[in-house]
Amino acid sequence: MIQSETLLARMQALTREEPCDGGSPLPTLSEEHLSALSRETGQGMRELQVLALRHGITPARYLRNFRELTSGDQERLLSSRAGLAGLGGLGGHLLESLVRMGVGTIMVADGDRFEESNLNRQLLSERDTLGMAKTEAARRRAAAVNPAVEIQAMSLTLDRQGLRTFFRGADVLFDGLGGVAVKKLLLECARDLGIPVISAAAAGWSCIVTTVLPGQSAPPDLFGSAGGAELSLGCLAPAIAVAAAVQCSEGVRLLCGRKPALAGKLLAVDLSRGSFEVFEL
Amino acid sequence: MPKEGTVPVITLHCYATLAAYCPPEGELAVPESTDLAGLMEMLGIPPGEVKLRFVNGKQAKDDQVLAEGDRVGLFPPVGGG
Repeated sequence: MIQSETLLARMQALTREEPCDGGSPLPTLSEEHLSALSRETGQGMRELQVLALRHGITPARYLRNFRELTSGDQERLLSSRAGLAGLGGLGGHLLESLVRMGVGTIMVADGDRFEESNLNRQLLSERDTLGMAKTEAARRRAAAVNPAVEIQAMSLTLDRQGLRTFFRGADVLFDGLGGVAVKKLLLECARDLGIPVISAAAAGWSCIVTTVLPGQSAPPDLFGSAGGAELSLGCLAPAIAVAAAVQCSEGVRLLCGRKPALAGKLLAVDLSRGSFEVFEL
Repeated sequence: MPKEGTVPVITLHCYATLAAYCPPEGELAVPESTDLAGLMEMLGIPPGEVKLRFVNGKQAKDDQVLAEGDRVGLFPPVGGG
């Protein structure tokens, strides 16, 4: 392991000035150079990205995250732990966005394997991943897109106690679960652990999203208790993608210490009419 | 304010499976003093199928009486992911 001053000097030597939208050029480090540094020094990609950001060097992969995110925000995301329950429709899109945003640790829980009926909407399902554990597909996707992100996976369908144990220590929880009963369990888990949770659900062309902060409570009937509308309407890819995008935005805002937009509110989207409405809960 | 002798016209948005009970144009004249429970009965929505109900953007109870121009949103249980 080389000294951090030496490492920083090596890093600075590899830095290039790259144009950044709407501002002066930024000192930037390419993925190729970061990977080489990681191989050479044994340092993880995440530690290297954090070190770079701390010294005003932007990993090139995050250039288009600026300036909406500051380097401080980016560093905060890399040091964050997100809990993600479910790796199906919502969960696959959530994983994709969180990995690209650079959320450093993602704790994923799903006991299922991919089947053909997932292919209509679930980002991690492909012809080649049919039969594969969803957690394994998540691990592969994260490694392929952003190796700085650590995936901690649990390939079990978790009960109430299991959820609480696995997600302890998460900074924020994302609900990517399918089925009204388990979604309710996750809300209870978040409440018990005192962690904010960003919940969503979809049916057909519609979806809903809400953020529940510690100390607040979701309406007991938020998802109902049985027989969700998705059982008769199915779930379409656009509604799932919209919901997951809104969830990711809410989570990133929370992780960066900003105010969520949907705490105590419910965003309801009906893509069959192009309607987006926000209700007070 | 509605004119004397006219009935309140409300805007209705029924989500997901409930869309089948909603008039396609989304506007509906309801008898005076109709509450949310009465509206759902009028639409033929089986009791228990509505999980969340909103009037003018806020959560409402079944006994809320509807007035001219109210915007009503009704949700079935939704849990797909």
